[in-house]
Amino acid sequence: MEMVKKQTATQSQKLMIFVLTMALYGMATLFTELIPKFQVGIVEFSVEYFLFIPLVLGMLFDPLSAALGAATGELVFSEIMLGQFGGLGELEKFVTVTIGVYLAGRIVRDPRNRKLVGFAAIFGTGVQQFLGMLVDIFKVQFAVEGFEAVPGLPESVFATEGFAFLNDLLFSGILFCMLPAIYLAPKLYGKIEPLLGMQPRSEKTALGGINAKVVLVCLGAFAVAAAAELLATSGLPLIEWEASWAESGAAIAAGIVVAAIVAVAVLLMMKKKAEA
Amino acid sequence: MNVIEIKDLTYTYPGASGPTLDHMDLAVEKGDFLAIIGNNGCGKSTLCKIMNGLIPHFITGDMEGSVLVDGKDTKTMSVGEIAGKVGYVYQDFENQIVRPTVLDDASYACMNYAMPDYLERGRKALRQCGLEGREQEYIWQLSGGQTHLLALAGAVSLEPDVLILDEPIAQLDPRHADLIYGVLKNLNEKWGKTIIVIEHHTEYIADYCRHVALLKDGHTEWVLPSAEALRRVDELQACNIFPPQVTIAAHQMKKEGMLADGMTLPTTLEEGKKAFGHLFFRRETLNLETKKENAAANKKTAADGNLAAAVTPAAKFQNVSVSYRAVKGEAKKIFRNLNLEIRKGEKIALIGSNGAGKSTLMKLMTGLIRPAEGEVWLKDRSIRDTKPEELSRTISLVYQNPEEMFIKDSIESDIAFAMQARHAKDWQERTEALLCRFRLSELKDRDGRLLSGGQMRRASLAIGIALNPEILLLDEPTANLDIATRKEIMRTLNEMKDITDTVIIATHDMQLVCEWAERIIVLCEGRVVADGSRNEIFGNREVTERTGIRPPEIFDMGKILNPGAFCYTIQEFRQQFGCGCV
Amino acid sequence: MESLEVNFQIYHYWRSKCAMKGEKMMQKLSDNILDKLSMDFLRNQVLKNAYGNDDTFIAKLDPRILLVWYLFFALVPWFVDQVPFLLGAFLLVAATTVMARVAGLVLALFVVGVFSQTGYLFLVSLLFGGNGETIFPLLILTLKVATVSLASVTVFSGLDPDRLSNGLMWFGCPERLSFSISYAYRILPMLMEEFQNVLLSYRLRGNAPDGSTLSGKIRYLIYQIKVIVHAFYPLMLNTAKRSRTTVEALELKGYRNAATSPAVKKLKLSSLKIGYDDMLFVAVSFLWMALTIFAAFLFR
Repeated sequence: MEMVKKQTATQSQKLMIFVLTMALYGMATLFTELIPKFQVGIVEFSVEYFLFIPLVLGMLFDPLSAALGAATGELVFSEIMLGQFGGLGELEKFVTVTIGVYLAGRIVRDPRNRKLVGFAAIFGTGVQQFLGMLVDIFKVQFAVEGFEAVPGLPESVFATEGFAFLNDLLFSGILFCMLPAIYLAPKLYGKIEPLLGMQPRSEKTALGGINAKVVLVCLGAFAVAAAAELLATSGLPLIEWEASWAESGAAIAAGIVVAAIVAVAVLLMMKKKAEA
Repeated sequence: MNVIEIKDLTYTYPGASGPTLDHMDLAVEKGDFLAIIGNNGCGKSTLCKIMNGLIPHFITGDMEGSVLVDGKDTKTMSVGEIAGKVGYVYQDFENQIVRPTVLDDASYACMNYAMPDYLERGRKALRQCGLEGREQEYIWQLSGGQTHLLALAGAVSLEPDVLILDEPIAQLDPRHADLIYGVLKNLNEKWGKTIIVIEHHTEYIADYCRHVALLKDGHTEWVLPSAEALRRVDELQACNIFPPQVTIAAHQMKKEGMLADGMTLPTTLEEGKKAFGHLFFRRETLNLETKKENAAANKKTAADGNLAAAVTPAAKFQNVSVSYRAVKGEAKKIFRNLNLEIRKGEKIALIGSNGAGKSTLMKLMTGLIRPAEGEVWLKDRSIRDTKPEELSRTISLVYQNPEEMFIKDSIESDIAFAMQARHAKDWQERTEALLCRFRLSELKDRDGRLLSGGQMRRASLAIGIALNPEILLLDEPTANLDIATRKEIMRTLNEMKDITDTVIIATHDMQLVCEWAERIIVLCEGRVVADGSRNEIFGNREVTERTGIRPPEIFDMGKILNPGAFCYTIQEFRQQFGCGCV
Repeated sequence: MESLEVNFQIYHYWRSKCAMKGEKMMQKLSDNILDKLSMDFLRNQVLKNAYGNDDTFIAKLDPRILLVWYLFFALVPWFVDQVPFLLGAFLLVAATTVMARVAGLVLALFVVGVFSQTGYLFLVSLLFGGNGETIFPLLILTLKVATVSLASVTVFSGLDPDRLSNGLMWFGCPERLSFSISYAYRILPMLMEEFQNVLLSYRLRGNAPDGSTLSGKIRYLIYQIKVIVHAFYPLMLNTAKRSRTTVEALELKGYRNAATSPAVKKLKLSSLKIGYDDMLFVAVSFLWMALTIFAAFLFR
């Protein structure tokens, strides 16, 4: 027999956790897509997050599978299913959610410890929100030429973003992430694991806290995501689309039209022939 | 030749205190049709997972001994290799279907194992399972029985020699159950597959299976030809397994000396005809019964007549039409001009095949579905503008799937929940009383989901009557239960009769209908096609044939022996056909 | 400097991605969150969107072609400011959306999303002393946002999920993602039904606060949110039971084998074929866009 098995689930157990988190969080985000946010004064409430679902599952099971499942679920259910796919920019959400849930899941050694669960939940949410804020700030910085040169712009951007971050963290974070996690994690502990044929997490089987390696990997992933996001939004104007055709003569444009007409005609004929 | 050979197998789940399978031996011959029986927790499902290699390949634990499939040890084979030889259909088969369309799911495994002709294999499997012509349909367009056949087709597509099915007909009406077994029979006889089923319905074992294996405490007690196995009435009943009613009746009559001592017990109606053929039908007993029933009915109508003016019915449907949104095309009509009256205090069974509209009828009464046209009345008020929350004191619905009733983390708080939410004064005492009444006191801190099937049902019944509703609706209270647990729930329901008022049960379980109901309503394609006492319903051939409802086996036996007989229970059969003693 | 202003507004658009302020809608929704009908409606719409339109011209197109087509309409509008071109692109994607017979709910989401974004921006610009002149860049931005969104609606809602996942796989997306897409469509109806039933249990057995006064409304909303959070306790356990069977069945059906085997991938992708319709689709789109470029040139 092995000494003490760390909570490194077998491949199929990981798949179970992935499927479970994906289905639940995916469905939840489908709803949030349909529930609008609302503001009371300057405070914005949003049910943006059912993030407590993957957070709790990440604390109970293999954090990485839960994190990836959550990110995939959101992508598939609320972006692709509802046709709200935002292109490469979705990568940012994907990676930040993964990092947030993964870190929170690793912090918790004992899901029955409410204080730890609460801390981990708010920490995970905080990381996710913070990274999102960084990306947003980067985006403006890249998008606006001479960002520093416009008087007041950097300050106002930092202020808006900072406020939005705090607002999200304090309201959505506490109401929709921390409190539900504190309620659910200890309740599910010891009940949900046998249903998947696994051992509950204990001090011995926990993966161990966050170490330098984890942080480095997360930072690396984030850098990739941020780069992709910037590429998707502001990086591409460098390729000067406008110039390429706006200055060329009408002849070229007309040529393109003629070519297109010919192509359509030929294809139509070919199709008719093929069907005949 | 043995296609499966298990030798001296002992298996313990990780973390379990004792072994689930204990020195088990079992050999299954090629081409056999084997039923595995045994009471709950004897290791049937574990055995299945051993035969298809899930244990030890995906589920860890201690395994000793050997399992040979087609002469090869499963430990040395890959799961893919085993899947090519042994196909498996789960009890919760709908979770086994992972693709959105029929052909796609049937051919999924073949595609995953990189077979170039995967679509052709999928089609062939669908043909073999009687799903031809439905290739392009989506899963949610299928009925329960068809979904089950699809799960089977998914397993058949890999062309395994052995097919294992875990309780294939637990949630099906008799017509669909026949369909499934018809397909299995065909696979067995025409395609030479070895079929292994875990089955509680001994009538189906008698009709279709060749051998029976009895499991007891994790080992094989015996393997016998099915007729011979089913005749071991006492031994089976000791394991909470109930042989066909014909067999039990003959067994009891033999004991009492009404049948010859040396006779072999019948297991099917055909055999029953020979065994009981010489018995006399005693019409006078029937008259006695019918008189009683008629007297009760007369009394009732008289009472109704007297009170009709004064008492409004407990519930009334007036020209109700309901339709569902469809994914494609026109909305589907469930009811068209439904009219029905439910009187206070009635114990009603609502029957009809899957999809006849039983659940819809119940949801209409709770206000969860609004009729497109017409009115639903509860006592003297129309519920069109009433919120379901307000109705919940008057009417209570217990779902078919008890797991959806459990919303708290212990059954005690589940039972107390509704009373607490309404600030009922004596909720603590009442919760305790209910726990006690349903024999749940010792389990009160457990989560409902982690209980056994029977305990789950009892808990859901307790939740349902917590608010002391005037009308109690039960959706399939005995579905998915083995016979012993079913009997237990039936007993509970009978005991409940005096603490509940009006009760309506939607069910396929005809034994429950015959032994419990006072009035039977038959739905077919959204219409009430029959409404009356059990004699009126089951005695009417036109109705039974048209709607596919099937009375208990013993009733058919009586009818075969004498068309005038009406026996719903073994006891009534003995009274009507036994000689001398009543 | 004008481009800066527009960019700044784009920034606001990001910031406010969908900060809708439809309070009326909120109230309506809060009344309906627990309402069975709206859940039923939602389920029906999602299914309709996924499978109700599998016989359209768009659904039958090759997913790879459509994805490339999408890429064009998702990116190019951001970098172009010529109105005729943008208008042309918008009309084209609007036409394809109609052809794809997208479900009403998705379209409603699109309309609310686009409108609230520009409405919000308009308010902001008024706040900063904007006038009619500020509206023009705003309208252009709206056009851009609308075009990009509709292109995404056409492709992701119009395509049958399986074809979509095959298309993504051809472009090298991980197998796990394409599995997730098909599985999501399979599991969603079941999951929603279960969620609906659990919510019903709360609804029927619980006692919602009276929602007629303002404070009652707030309490009602809080109650509903609480119920939804609590509902995930039974839901997680029930879904866990399901996923175990599902994953075991997947193992038996050789899912793991397929994920790593290039032969399987080839087999799956062999069903993708580019036909005349695909080429026609591309050619007509191309022709149309060429005409708009031509028009843009003329009206300069």
